[in-house]
Amino acid sequence: MTSLRILLRAIALLTAMAAGAMAGPFEEALPKFSADSYSDTEAAISAVAGSGHERALTVVEALRDGRLLAGAGQVYIREASNGMIDAATGEIVGGAGNLKPVRVNNRVRRAIEAALGNLTLLSSDTRTRFNAAQAVFRSRDASALPVLERAIAQESDLRVRGALESARAAVILNKPDAPAVEKKIAVEILSRRGDQDSLALLSNVSASSAPDLAKAASDAAEGIRTRLALWNALQNVWYGVSLGSVLLLAAIGLAITFGTMGVINMAHGEMVMIGAYTTFMVQEVIRLHAPGLFDASLFIALPLAFLTAGAVGVLVERCVIRFLYGRPLETLLATWGLSLILQQAVRTVFGPTNREVGTPGWMRGALEIGGLSLTYNRLAIVVFAFSVFAILLLVMRYTSLGLYVRAVTQNRRMAGSMGIRTNRIDALAFGLGSGVAGIAGVALSQIDNVSPNLGQGYIIDSFMVVVFGGVGNLWGTLIGAMTLGVANKMLEPYAGAVLGKIVLLITIIIFIQRRPRGLFALKGRAVEA
Amino acid sequence: MTAPITPALLYLDNITVTFDGFRALNALSLAVDHAEMRAIIGPNGAGKTTMMDVITGKTRPNQGTALFEGSHDLTALDEAAIAELGIGRKFQTPTVFEMHSVEDNLLLASRSRRGPFSTLFARQTPRERERMDMLLDRVRLTAHRRRKAGELSHGQKQWLEIGMLLAQEPKLLLIDEPAAGMTDQETADTVDLLRDIATTKAVIVVEHDMTFVRDLGVKVTCLHEGSVLAEGPLDAVSANERVVEVYLGR
Amino acid sequence: MRTRSVLDRQTIVVIGFLAGAAMLVPIFNGLVAQDSALHVPDHLVPLLGKYLCFALLALSVDLIWGFCGILSLGHGAFFALGGYAMGMYLMRQVGSRGVYAHPVLPDFMVFLNWQELPWFWYGSDIFPIAVLMVVLAPGILALAFGWFAFRSRVTGVYLSIITQAMTFALMLAFFRNDMGFGGNNGLTDFKDILGFPLQAGSTRLVLFVVSAIALGLGYLLCRWLVESKFGKVLVAIRDAENRTRFLGYRVERYKLTVFIISAMLAGLAGALYVPQVGIINPGEFAPENSIEIVIWVAVGGRGTLAGAILGALVVNAGKTWFTGALPEFWLFALGGLFVFVTLLMPRGILGTGQELWDRMRQRSQLHQAAPATSQAAE
Repeated sequence: MTSLRILLRAIALLTAMAAGAMAGPFEEALPKFSADSYSDTEAAISAVAGSGHERALTVVEALRDGRLLAGAGQVYIREASNGMIDAATGEIVGGAGNLKPVRVNNRVRRAIEAALGNLTLLSSDTRTRFNAAQAVFRSRDASALPVLERAIAQESDLRVRGALESARAAVILNKPDAPAVEKKIAVEILSRRGDQDSLALLSNVSASSAPDLAKAASDAAEGIRTRLALWNALQNVWYGVSLGSVLLLAAIGLAITFGTMGVINMAHGEMVMIGAYTTFMVQEVIRLHAPGLFDASLFIALPLAFLTAGAVGVLVERCVIRFLYGRPLETLLATWGLSLILQQAVRTVFGPTNREVGTPGWMRGALEIGGLSLTYNRLAIVVFAFSVFAILLLVMRYTSLGLYVRAVTQNRRMAGSMGIRTNRIDALAFGLGSGVAGIAGVALSQIDNVSPNLGQGYIIDSFMVVVFGGVGNLWGTLIGAMTLGVANKMLEPYAGAVLGKIVLLITIIIFIQRRPRGLFALKGRAVEA
Repeated sequence: MTAPITPALLYLDNITVTFDGFRALNALSLAVDHAEMRAIIGPNGAGKTTMMDVITGKTRPNQGTALFEGSHDLTALDEAAIAELGIGRKFQTPTVFEMHSVEDNLLLASRSRRGPFSTLFARQTPRERERMDMLLDRVRLTAHRRRKAGELSHGQKQWLEIGMLLAQEPKLLLIDEPAAGMTDQETADTVDLLRDIATTKAVIVVEHDMTFVRDLGVKVTCLHEGSVLAEGPLDAVSANERVVEVYLGR
Repeated sequence: MRTRSVLDRQTIVVIGFLAGAAMLVPIFNGLVAQDSALHVPDHLVPLLGKYLCFALLALSVDLIWGFCGILSLGHGAFFALGGYAMGMYLMRQVGSRGVYAHPVLPDFMVFLNWQELPWFWYGSDIFPIAVLMVVLAPGILALAFGWFAFRSRVTGVYLSIITQAMTFALMLAFFRNDMGFGGNNGLTDFKDILGFPLQAGSTRLVLFVVSAIALGLGYLLCRWLVESKFGKVLVAIRDAENRTRFLGYRVERYKLTVFIISAMLAGLAGALYVPQVGIINPGEFAPENSIEIVIWVAVGGRGTLAGAILGALVVNAGKTWFTGALPEFWLFALGGLFVFVTLLMPRGILGTGQELWDRMRQRSQLHQAAPATSQAAE
């Protein structure tokens, strides 16, 4: 062991001597860091970055992270293990006297960014190269041009190459003495890139430059603006679809119970809440007994939530609602009472505060498509909502339960006299609707606070969806949910969240008054078929 | 609206009603004179109830003309306005106000101003009270005047509803299946009552019961698939080949 | 004739009860010694006054639900609007005594850097105008809402749901600072009404008595309405809407009229409520509150008027007791009440009592009749 250490020491010493022997720009620039002056530091950064020295990257990174220490003309780097190494040689040093971190301000920070960009443009890791290109794009540092061109020449990855080219375009456009032809090409490249940054660059091309260049730039900027507005609108549509999916999930169970039995179930939101709490319970058990299953927790929770909420639904139907058929207003009141009881029960058992429901790893992060950013948890909910919808549609169309439910919906007495046990169908349909609400609760636990009040927030919205879409029609519910979701999110940028919601509520109130049976009530049969 | 187009009290021409593509009424034309009683027959789905709905303003036709007294366009008026013109309707299942007394049912129906403020300050005049007694007597409910309408027998409810129609003092009465669920004696009495009414007012009776229609002894219109299939005395209509075909469904 | 006499007896009981309360509460509060069991402590007076306001609110709901079948789940909105109209007056009475001592602008407007009074606050410092607004604001909302809803024949649960959406939308609106009604905090820190300090015991007693009188007059108005031919038409609409229409009654006009009257009564209740509790905020628009009103009516007995008063008093007294003694159980109790009443006592306390009374009388009549026939047979 000792011999090994001695050997390493010797190698380090040799390297240091060799470096000292060929004292180049790197070694000359280093002491400037200890001058405690921002402009000296900045000069040192560009000298170090331009030196091509193998330790240049380490030094600049240390500076960025505040690990570059200086004192009395010497520069050191603090290692993660709290040890010190000499910045110039990489040699481990002991006590080095009174050291202070090299200070940075915003200008220095920009210089660091630029330097890092230049330094890593040639890195062997594609991701590093890409990030470096992006850094240069932002800094528009003219000194990076030679490195950039070298990097472009040897780049094989298409994505990185594109980034490098747009970085070069940014540099050239910003460089006063670049040839006009180059600048025009740069404008083209940037207009193809077409993001907010390119827009800023292109709008910066002053009108005083060559007229055709100025025109090309302003045309390109205009084009980008249009495209960005489009992306923005698309993003809003996405938010709307995402909200619409949440509404769909919350409302679809209601569409079944309301559709079949004409029963307003005010406790529907509480079924959603029960689903969310089931998720919480499942995760607790997993956390305690099988932490490895955490990523699968939602899939385990789904059937359990369906069964729990469905069982509560059947219980509610058997104990309360079946005595109130034909008296919709009384049912409304009784289920409201049930919702109060369920809320308070959950509050008593789980406490009134929010419960933490974790997000599995695969639902974190976001998918970038063009100018769109789709977070995975929202994406999962959208996909999930549509799957639930599709499954329900199939259940309603192809299973005997679905057939019976539809029969009871259309003509209760006729269905009864044909031997369908309407009582049992009512209970099952109610259980199905409640179970679907429970499933919705699993999904909503990912984006909402899991608290006893969770369900209340959805009840009015869900009814608006069902009533807007038309009663007893799943397609209507889908269209209703999506329309309301998208309309809500489209209104928000103009009216603000609260005012947008008010506008929407008033619109629905007026709409219901114009078409009391909803969007799809009359054409119902045609759509269902 | 200027000169009456037709001398008939009720004049329907080319009325078509469609629901979701289904033609409930198909170019139906019908005219009923003052103080005429007309019986409407036809199989289920022939459009009898829809026709009543059009006349009373419950359903708006897609096309066609519906005139009352030659000048009032029924397709442009709502139920209340049509009722005030003088068209009264009795439903298939007796619908009386179950929680109100027999007397109050007739009171609500009796001809008077219908606005909220008129009813708020309404007082029964001696003349109205006299009329009420007469009406009760005519529909044989004097003994039950203070009972809740919901407590009456089926036949009594039918008669109460006819009484309510009379109280409205309409010019035209639309009566849907008056004999349904009645005993033979009640049916016979109803025939007498209707014939009595028809001496002064126009009456349209929709009925399935052929004996009842025969007893009425009036002109019959047979509907089928939303239009008039045959019209004339009952014997002529029931001898009509197409009517037989429709009824027997050959 | 039988029902008529029972109703008259009910009126006598209600008016007698209210007159008694209006006289006895001040006596037991002011004249009976503090240590006496009959003494009504000062803090109880506004509480009782609050109950009377709730009773008036319940009455307004019973008028439309019990007699016309309109189940409004948004009546809290009319109550709150009346409350805000009164709150605006009380706010202006604070004058320069506010925290910011602005002579005209209420504190919250100064806080939000508003330079001048919004137009809808003009005249709110004049009491008669404030009183007018107390009934006009809810009345106009009811007119606008009902005009749309009843003309397009929205009925049943659909109507209930959109009334709920209405009050929900209003709640969101009133939470906004830009609305000019104090946003989240609402209107509070009132000083006096018509120059009398609100904290003074005597003012509170007067407010209590005024509430009792308002409730009594409200009851008499409703009684008169439902016993007129107008009321008979309302019940006819409740039981067979289409039939009524074919008799020539414009159903929507009747619904609209009674809806507006009911909204105004609710507004009046709100206006009396605010000075007694000292605050009005957007929470009063919450849909939950509106549904709770319905249960007061259901408990007491729908369609009986006196039942609405009884239900409001019983449920609210229960709420006060529960939230003091067993706070966690209040929602269980309230929820249970909803289920119990709709399932087992659909006619409420008064309706069920009436039923029992009738059955007992019938039985005793049978008992009397039976010996007579057997004697006749002999």
